[in-house]
Amino acid sequence: MEAVVVDAGSKLLKAGFASPDQDPALIMPTKMKRVVEDGDGGDASMIEEVTVDPVVRGFIRDWDAMEDLLRHVLYTDLGWEVGDEGQILFAEPLFTPKAIREQLVQLMFETFNVSGFYASEQAVLSLYAVGRISGCTVDIGHGKIDIAPVCEGAVQHIASKRFQIGGIDLTNLLTQELRKSNPLMNIDISEVEKLKEQYARCAEDQVAFEETQRTWPKETHTLPDGQTITIGREGYIVGEALFQPSILGLEEYGIVEQLVRSISSVSSENLRQLLENTMLCGGTASMSGFEERFQKEANLCSSSIRPSLIKQPEYMPENLSKNSAWMGGAILAKVVFPQNQHVTKGDYDETGPAIVHKKCF
Amino acid sequence: MYGGGESVHSFFSQNPSPIDLPRRSAPCELIGSLFVFSLVDEVSAIVLDLGSYTCKAGYAGEDAPKAVFPSVVGSIYQAGATDEVKHEKDSDSMYDSENADKIKTRKLYVGTQALGYRRDHMEVISPIKDGVVVDWDIVDNIWNHAFRERLLIDPKEHPMLLAEPSFNTPQQREKAAELMFESYKVPALFLAKNAVLTSFASGRATSLVVDSGGGSTTIAAVHDGYVLQKAVSTSPIGGEFLTDCMMKSLESKGVMIKPRYSFKRKEIRPGEFQTVDLDIPNTTESYKLYSQRAIASDIKESVCRVPDTAFEESGYANVPMTPYELPDGQTIEIGADRFKIPDVLFNPSLVQTIPGMESFAGSASVSGLPQMVIESINRCDADIKRELFSSILLAGGTASMLQLKERLEKELMEEAPQAARVKVLASGNSIERRFSVWIGGSILASLGSFQQLWFSKAEYEEHGVSNIQRKCP
Repeated sequence: MEAVVVDAGSKLLKAGFASPDQDPALIMPTKMKRVVEDGDGGDASMIEEVTVDPVVRGFIRDWDAMEDLLRHVLYTDLGWEVGDEGQILFAEPLFTPKAIREQLVQLMFETFNVSGFYASEQAVLSLYAVGRISGCTVDIGHGKIDIAPVCEGAVQHIASKRFQIGGIDLTNLLTQELRKSNPLMNIDISEVEKLKEQYARCAEDQVAFEETQRTWPKETHTLPDGQTITIGREGYIVGEALFQPSILGLEEYGIVEQLVRSISSVSSENLRQLLENTMLCGGTASMSGFEERFQKEANLCSSSIRPSLIKQPEYMPENLSKNSAWMGGAILAKVVFPQNQHVTKGDYDETGPAIVHKKCF
Repeated sequence: MYGGGESVHSFFSQNPSPIDLPRRSAPCELIGSLFVFSLVDEVSAIVLDLGSYTCKAGYAGEDAPKAVFPSVVGSIYQAGATDEVKHEKDSDSMYDSENADKIKTRKLYVGTQALGYRRDHMEVISPIKDGVVVDWDIVDNIWNHAFRERLLIDPKEHPMLLAEPSFNTPQQREKAAELMFESYKVPALFLAKNAVLTSFASGRATSLVVDSGGGSTTIAAVHDGYVLQKAVSTSPIGGEFLTDCMMKSLESKGVMIKPRYSFKRKEIRPGEFQTVDLDIPNTTESYKLYSQRAIASDIKESVCRVPDTAFEESGYANVPMTPYELPDGQTIEIGADRFKIPDVLFNPSLVQTIPGMESFAGSASVSGLPQMVIESINRCDADIKRELFSSILLAGGTASMLQLKERLEKELMEEAPQAARVKVLASGNSIERRFSVWIGGSILASLGSFQQLWFSKAEYEEHGVSNIQRKCP
């Protein structure tokens, strides 16, 4: 049986059996609803629904919810049988605290009884998906942004950066902006998410952005419940926020500048090789116009070596950047498990959860 | 490591099994007889090394620190009554009362990200002067940043190993211990001297450690895991001093290093770019200097080499120039400076010849590296001199300069007594040299036999902070 690869993001959970050149079999939201039932089994009005987010800013915070989610994914959706669990590979974000890794391993071996486990950082996996072992990844997710240089499969932690902003902050920004221009609107955050995916785009460069702010392009959009709203320049604001974080209220440089500055602490021989193999991944990076704008900003940045984005291989499916960590995981799973480099049940029983730090990098 | 990256594992060759470790450990007197080597896996200790230039922090047992960031902070003074020091603290911490008395309070920005962003009126200040901590508030902020923002841990749950300068005073140690226990409520603490940790990192109990870091160079003799205080000497010539020399030298040749924030590139025609200077009036001098130093430091690290013999102007007049491209696009050529600047370590009086640096007052009393090494060894007892000569360790960022090891060995062989065999050791990997103090701490804190040496919170509460002098030699 193939190994299962799981990439639990703050918004979407990608899971499936390891088949490298296909999309993950399962892409589902990680948001869950906890249904609290009244003990007496009373009437329906007593049942409360609370939204639960097991993964916050990339890290697993609510372990019970995560357990339920994984149980559903592994047993119901992917078809594992109790007693015959296979091997599992997890994609983790940068700077995962040791305690969280250990807890994950413990959960896997003790509750789910998997036969083999491996965990790897998303940055490395994304590069494997495009067929490289060295380069920079800029992973713009829902809950966080990770910038990581990878040399020969090893993340250079000293030069990596993690930002606690992501798609969710952009959604909040869009809500704010929409409220300003459509004061009578009554809208739910999940609706705004969909609007963001549809309307957010990046202007060609800073000058073009200022153009849109002056000329106010408008489109009307009808919400499912019948309200109509106008949206246009708000979409451009959302796209610009990553390049000018002052829009979000943060005192930071734009994303290209951050990339160049954090990478500069790597020794200069590798610098060129890293910057010229930059990869964008993550849901938010698939905004229309983002890549072109990134490349343009890269030409204007304050460094002698300019970052340049790599071309995605043709044999990989279209939306590679959204699922690159999962696909890289699928590639890695095909190598690690047959070669027995993973953590086996025997290892876990002998050494305990700390084995994950020694065997998985 | 899958895919290569041998440097990652050059220290912990393959997975450190209990059988492998005996090669690495140093049989220090205290740890000596108990060769029980199991990596402690219940709770991971944190190793923290606050240097004069960078702060290194990470988990014990790993081969490189996870968090490396500058030990300087940005501070903006604000007139106001409320304390806005940027960190989360318990409301009953003992430092709030001190700060509330200040009329002018300041907001501190710690870490590469926060420092990298240019803000109006932000001054760059260092908590350490001449190797000694003068501003504990800043140190508190730095530690807080390392724990909560970089390592993402709760200090209450991890024992701390703190690396301290080899010449640290008892008052400083007590202050550090107090801060750790009261403010961060760590469960256990240990203070280890830098030289001892470097020694452990190379697997030796006795050696002479030449630690050439950012702020200063310290030479200390370690015997059986203890630093011989009489043989410790320091010199203010460190990496930052050399960077300043580089900057002044370039300025005198007419090269202006433009900090990254001070220019912008504009595309005037497709494919053609032009740099435009930005006028930003409210940037402080200290911040400008800090940004320029960052660039000059990179120049120094990429082109400088220690010359094989003492530097003379005439000998290097016709040396080929190496090009270097600055961030704003201008390309500069560096010739004799490539060799002159590193030679300042060996011959401090060279500083007088660099225009702009004549005011360096201490150059009369500061001796070069080989002289300091010889002096240090001479102050030790005769019976260990031979051992010290044959195990001289190089550590620190500046020690990773090319050809430093060979030149030092050569100079020492000339000056040392005939019978002595001189051997200078330095790990080949520049990352290991830069972090050797931290790596030594990582090894020490993960040894099974070390676990009984921690100074625990219970002991602190019962006996008071002065016990730390006894527990941590």
